[in-house]
Amino acid sequence: MINRRRLLGMAAVGVPAISILRTRSASAQAKEIRVAEDGGVATKAFQSGFVEPFTKKTGVKVTLESPNPLGKLRAMVEAGQTGTVLYTGLGSVNMLAAKRLGLIDPIDWGAVDPAPMYPEAKKDYGFGHQYFSTVMAWNAVVKAPKSWADFFDAKAFPGKRALVDLPQYSLPFALLATGVPVDKLYPLDVNAAFKKLREFKSHVSVWTATTPQGPQLLRDNEVQYAVCSGSRVVGDPALGMTWDHGRLDVGYACIVKTSKPEDRVAAYKLLHEMSLPENQARYAEIFPVTGPNPDLDQYLPKDKLSTYPASKQNKAVQWLENPQWWNENGEAINKKWQEFKLGL
Amino acid sequence: MLAGSRSDSLKDSSLGVSPSTVHQAVASPSCGEGALLVTRSSGYHFIVPGFGFLIPLLLLMVVVFDAPIVYMLALAFWDKAQGFTLGYYGDVFEAPVYLRVLANTVRISVVATIVSVIIGYPLAHWIRGLGRRAKMVALALVVLPFWVSVLVRTYAWIVLLGNDGLVNRALQWLGLVQAPVSFLYNELGVTIGMTNVLLPLLVLPLYAAMARVDDRLLQAAASLGAPPSTIFWKVYFPLTLPSLAAGTLLALILCLGFYITPAILGGGRVPMISNVLDTLINVYPNWGQASAISTILLVVTLLIFAIYRRIDQTTSTK
Amino acid sequence: MSDIRLEGISKRYGDFAAVDKIDLAVSQGEFVTIVGPSGSGKTSLLSLIAGLQQPTAGRILIGGRDVTNAAPQARNIGLVFQSYALFPHMTAIENVLFPLGVRGISGSQARDRALEALRLVQLEGLGDRRPSQLSGGQQQRVALARAVVFKPDILLLDEPLGALDRKLREQLQIQLKELQRALGVTTILVTHDQEEALLLSDRIMVLDKGCPQQVATPAESYLRPVNRFVAEFLGSANFVGLSDGRCGLLRPERVRVASNGEGKAARVVEAIYLGQAVRYHLETDDLGSLLAIAPFLDKAFAKGECVVVSWDAADLWPLA
Repeated sequence: MINRRRLLGMAAVGVPAISILRTRSASAQAKEIRVAEDGGVATKAFQSGFVEPFTKKTGVKVTLESPNPLGKLRAMVEAGQTGTVLYTGLGSVNMLAAKRLGLIDPIDWGAVDPAPMYPEAKKDYGFGHQYFSTVMAWNAVVKAPKSWADFFDAKAFPGKRALVDLPQYSLPFALLATGVPVDKLYPLDVNAAFKKLREFKSHVSVWTATTPQGPQLLRDNEVQYAVCSGSRVVGDPALGMTWDHGRLDVGYACIVKTSKPEDRVAAYKLLHEMSLPENQARYAEIFPVTGPNPDLDQYLPKDKLSTYPASKQNKAVQWLENPQWWNENGEAINKKWQEFKLGL
Repeated sequence: MLAGSRSDSLKDSSLGVSPSTVHQAVASPSCGEGALLVTRSSGYHFIVPGFGFLIPLLLLMVVVFDAPIVYMLALAFWDKAQGFTLGYYGDVFEAPVYLRVLANTVRISVVATIVSVIIGYPLAHWIRGLGRRAKMVALALVVLPFWVSVLVRTYAWIVLLGNDGLVNRALQWLGLVQAPVSFLYNELGVTIGMTNVLLPLLVLPLYAAMARVDDRLLQAAASLGAPPSTIFWKVYFPLTLPSLAAGTLLALILCLGFYITPAILGGGRVPMISNVLDTLINVYPNWGQASAISTILLVVTLLIFAIYRRIDQTTSTK
Repeated sequence: MSDIRLEGISKRYGDFAAVDKIDLAVSQGEFVTIVGPSGSGKTSLLSLIAGLQQPTAGRILIGGRDVTNAAPQARNIGLVFQSYALFPHMTAIENVLFPLGVRGISGSQARDRALEALRLVQLEGLGDRRPSQLSGGQQQRVALARAVVFKPDILLLDEPLGALDRKLREQLQIQLKELQRALGVTTILVTHDQEEALLLSDRIMVLDKGCPQQVATPAESYLRPVNRFVAEFLGSANFVGLSDGRCGLLRPERVRVASNGEGKAARVVEAIYLGQAVRYHLETDDLGSLLAIAPFLDKAFAKGECVVVSWDAADLWPLA
């Protein structure tokens, strides 16, 4: 089975000869722009929260495309495509990788003229439009852990575990379990983290490869404790979860290197709409993931504030990912990760 | 040539048994066995009239299939900063963790393929012996999983074989086991899941080959005094062997690229090369490294294919 | 070599009888042919003898041994199919060696016997070819060699020459007869070709709808058929009403055609030149249409000519 994303990447690679033949549109004003985004429920939220007000104001139509893996962005740029202007949902580490590989251009913040934003969301090359959390969750029938130390303590908290099969989603939690405080997490003590994981490995019955897998394993009682996406487990009466010491990361929207100038003009206007708190609130209504406006809480229903990954109260108890560190060390750690998985 | 047409048609059907021949014709038309070139008894090759009509199709093949592969192969030798480089291959061989994942992938694939053959061959044979209607029902049941998404099928196995799944609950209710049996999240789970995907791919060509075996051959063998086991091993099995070999090869090659099934049913504890490639392409985008690994995977696959061709040639021609 | 006896053999599918209460005794070394139109049950009967199917009633005895319920393997019968049924993945000699191998005969002894069998069917030197490299006639001879190499008690031939063209068929018919005589093997042949039946057999069984009509020598069957079906199936026939009200068979070659003299007046409707003879389709006043085959001497009567036909009373064979 070839992965769908890989297939798309491969297909895109084959395109350059054809795209060169295509004549460039000379019109200065874009009538339609193409935006890559997450797919699924997020598409509906994006449409309702951002696209509708944008199209109403500018008359420019938006075509949404999904999925949006980094590999596809690279394939698009290397093929010289000029269709897609905005690539959304790039995690902080991926955004830096895209910058390093020259796949994206800096954002003209003057043209965006955004409403207030958290500083980590307003980057040279990225507009942080969504906050997502990775947290600990458990089946409601078992004893609730309070910290990562509890989560990694199979004696006091018996049960099978599911962890994410990617080092940046597992190493920091293991290190926190050894007692390292959140503010001393980076630079990551890789050896100590792997040591903790090696000790704990026998209790991990599943290393998850997809986002829905963790919550599903908990509901099926296949495992009792799992690392999950926060917005996928919050509010489920069958499950328990806590935002405490969760990993908070920002998803960025970026300007595709090879996109047309007139498309960018329109894209900046779309980014402006994405910065407005009322639009972010409408987005969160459909897909419970919140945006970068510091005053967003006022626009959200009071009783639901505890369910959003980046409401003020939840943001305060989580730690923000350190993309610079992973950008520099990620590949080397992936090799170690494979060795660890093979039991070497 | 009184019975010339008959012997010719037999030859055609024996070509049809081996799909590799067709494939080979595309890969190397100069061998003169395939669609483009006709071999006359004199040994000369003639280009089929109307060859020109095929050129657009060939061009499309080159652009859509061959160009991306060449590009993929080249990625491992090219670095934006340094130009030509062997560094990516150097990395693969210096830190052999990726090669070990590849070896693990080959091992799991061989196991899953063997299990599929052990189940698939008797299954196809059983279907051959069924009545017309039962045969259609059985074949439909075999093909049915084709139309169900791999992901759904994979989760269905969890419902069935999970710790809290139907089988384990039944076993515990019957008092046969105390704690749930671990069917999943190990190599057993991967083997079960991969076999499920492979089975129709093996059973269909095997059934087709078995259906082509003339019952009169088996009756002739019986009348000549051969006991059932001899009829099977000396007549039936050799006649289905080319399809078995082709199906096994296809299954094995497919296994090497399995992604989602081992990831979920193996609980991520059984590393497969496709998962590593996905990470290298989409997370770190280190395409050079991914290309080097893919190339090695391609070489392994071609080696398996070469071994098959060798076996096929020694068994089918004398 | 053995004799074979069928006692009240039947094969029924519900109400339909493919084979209906057949009794037949074939003595050792005899060549018996079963003829009948398609669907008459002749191939079913052969399958029952070979053990490929089980009869619903009756007994089969080979050399006095009851083999009614024995597996095909246990009957020591050589069987030749119309479709040859050669093993396509084996060479000619491997095909011929196959029945020897399953009997535990191997090595040079087996090879000598296989080569001898191939020599008998005049295929020396072609042993290393695969069936696909042989012509239809050659394949059929390999099948024959394979069926006799292990010295079977009985040789069963199911339309063995049916797929071949006429000239080759005639040639192989003679070879087959010679081979059968040389080996002295008890043989049952199934065919729909009446000429083949008349040419090869010691005796002929005519089947219709699963029922045996007559079992007799070729001459007996041809000259003195028991009923109209047998008379029509074996050769061409004229039927003439007899004075006692019965129906009489008059073979066309017994009809004399003359320009004048004693006899019945007739008109030539069609005259077909056959080489050594002429076939006349005649129209008579009181007997209706009549078929005659007369030797071609100097000239033939032409279409539309008026002639006189006659025959000897002894040439009329009364049918039951």
